[in-house]
Amino acid sequence: MKLSEMHAGQEGMVSTLKGDERFLNRITSIGLNEGVGFRIIKNDRKMPVLIFVRDTLLALNRRDSEKIEAKEVGA
Amino acid sequence: MNTIALLGQPNSGKSTIFNQLTGARQHVGNWPGKTVEKRDGTFTYDNTKYTLVDLPGSYGLSGNSDEEVITEEFIKGGRADLICVLVDSSQLERSMYMLADFASMDVPAILILNMMDVAKGQGKEINAALLSERLGIPVLPFTAAEGKGYGELKSLMEEEMKNPHKLKTSPDIPDDASGTEMSGGKTLNEGKAKYAWISTLLDGVTNTAQTEYKISKLDSFLFRPVLGKVVTVGIILVGFLMAMLIMSPFMGVAGMLPGLLGGPIADFLTKIKVHPWLVSVFSLIIPNTLFFCISMASFVFGVNIVFGFLEEIGFLARAAYQFDSALSKLGLQGKAIAPILMGMGCTIGGASGTRVMDSWGQKMLTMMVVWAVPCASIWSIIPVISGMFFPIGGTLLLCVGIIAYIFVLMFIVSKVFGRSLVSEDARTGMIMELPPYHKPHWKYIIKEAWLKCFDMFKRALTTVTLVSVIFWAFSYSPSGNVESSLLYKVGTAIEPVTKFFGMGWQTFMAFISAAFAKEAVLGTLNAVFAGQSNVADVAFNANASGVDATALSQVMTQTISGAEALAFIFACTFSVPCLMALSTTYKESHSLKWTVKTAGFYIGAALILSCIVYHIALLFIG
Repeated sequence: MKLSEMHAGQEGMVSTLKGDERFLNRITSIGLNEGVGFRIIKNDRKMPVLIFVRDTLLALNRRDSEKIEAKEVGA
Repeated sequence: MNTIALLGQPNSGKSTIFNQLTGARQHVGNWPGKTVEKRDGTFTYDNTKYTLVDLPGSYGLSGNSDEEVITEEFIKGGRADLICVLVDSSQLERSMYMLADFASMDVPAILILNMMDVAKGQGKEINAALLSERLGIPVLPFTAAEGKGYGELKSLMEEEMKNPHKLKTSPDIPDDASGTEMSGGKTLNEGKAKYAWISTLLDGVTNTAQTEYKISKLDSFLFRPVLGKVVTVGIILVGFLMAMLIMSPFMGVAGMLPGLLGGPIADFLTKIKVHPWLVSVFSLIIPNTLFFCISMASFVFGVNIVFGFLEEIGFLARAAYQFDSALSKLGLQGKAIAPILMGMGCTIGGASGTRVMDSWGQKMLTMMVVWAVPCASIWSIIPVISGMFFPIGGTLLLCVGIIAYIFVLMFIVSKVFGRSLVSEDARTGMIMELPPYHKPHWKYIIKEAWLKCFDMFKRALTTVTLVSVIFWAFSYSPSGNVESSLLYKVGTAIEPVTKFFGMGWQTFMAFISAAFAKEAVLGTLNAVFAGQSNVADVAFNANASGVDATALSQVMTQTISGAEALAFIFACTFSVPCLMALSTTYKESHSLKWTVKTAGFYIGAALILSCIVYHIALLFIG
């Protein structure tokens, strides 16, 4: 599922990243790459998605978070 | 040549180290042929002079923006003798990515583990010696904002200049051939390899496994969609009150200058028989300019202290999260909220606050949007003028209208300029870390605010003096009557044109003075309507000239219509914010073309607005 469709409290793992070169570089350099585990902290309508990944709380723009495919882990 | 360059992701504390090492010995310009800001400076250690270059902020070295290309070329071209790579110790794994990107380049380097205080607070321990052994370069644990340990850093730099080390390991980047068929596969594989390299390096270097995240009480408040926005704006408003408290003592002292200096200077110059013109220049313009510049600089100081504090503790990152979706509609992203909110206090502060933006285009667009926000200064004038013409209900209605128009204007600006400044595919949304709340480093905040305020003061002193002299020349009247001044002659000559926009010659002159300084509006109105003092005397001397609001109100309400007053208020509010905002915009954008474009757009838009407001108002209030 898309990262933007996950709920607060869910844990997941990034399965695929889509988007142009620029986006891929940007998202990788800030710590999100394929295979990395994360937890959704908050996901409200019309707000960026808050995730906790690699010891960091990240805010991801909503549109960008639709380009991230993730699997739920440990559900 | 002794050149050292700083490399690190935004938020790694790069500019803190840069400012602490170079102090005021900085030079800010452009990278040749680019709109990217180039910051370099010097410092001396052990009788040797070093040049320090602050490489443009980027997240990696993949060449996806002007900033990244410049940084990459600079390092590859061997233009630095030593590269200081900065990482955030509290998020070591993630921020080491920059080092992984850098590792393929064959240049001497040191690694600075910044923000050790935050890492320690989280119970993290880092074995710097082991990391250094694995990397083959020195690793220095550091807390840049604390202001300590710089001696150690400098001595390490000196040592490495004589006896340089290069990284002995780099990520095992797979060959392109083995890449996947899908687009971007190369980038993704490289990313994987880099993180694998980082994991191997950090194995046994850090003590903690992934920390559990627990949302703090404050955050569970601030992250709510509606309440969070209300609280954010509320905190900012309280912040402005604090800023005013900080500035008031400086203003008070500066306010006494014209009175204290004016008389003695005039007496002295008259005594030595200087021409009366010059006496007036020196005794009026100079003390008033000084007062004006000090009060402006002290406000910039106050605003920067408050926002520096909010940034340091991590609050502004939360504000960015709150407003990201709204700002994406303008082609901007969440980070732009801080300069926009700063603009509610002072446009100068807002314009210089756009430094946080990721690219030049976003920065320029943010500055243009910041201009649309009326500053505290004009808000203090609107009720005074409105109150002369309209009852309290009308004034409130006007304020609502002005607030509504702010959003309209922001939207227009983003429609007109958005596309050329931030192209559709460059519209990166916010991908930003929200740092944990931490204690502010006051010494650092005050020092940064002081640097900005001092820089503003220096620029203001020359610009404002020059403009004061021009004002003075225009309004000089041999007979002491406003009608024999150049101002009157020019003003009345172009009145047929300005009338079309809804303003007579008096209000039009005040409209022009508003583009220089909002504080000048009441003084100019007083001079052109009541003819009590000349414009130069009052233009940059808002309160000390003692405008008699009641007397001014009488003359103004007799001379001009309510419709003209309304048009005038709108025109002043949404014109060029002030001379120093213009100068700061130029300084921050390094683009004369865009600064002129911005000013031209705002003057044009203000006149059109004035015209529309005037003609609509005529239908209702006559």
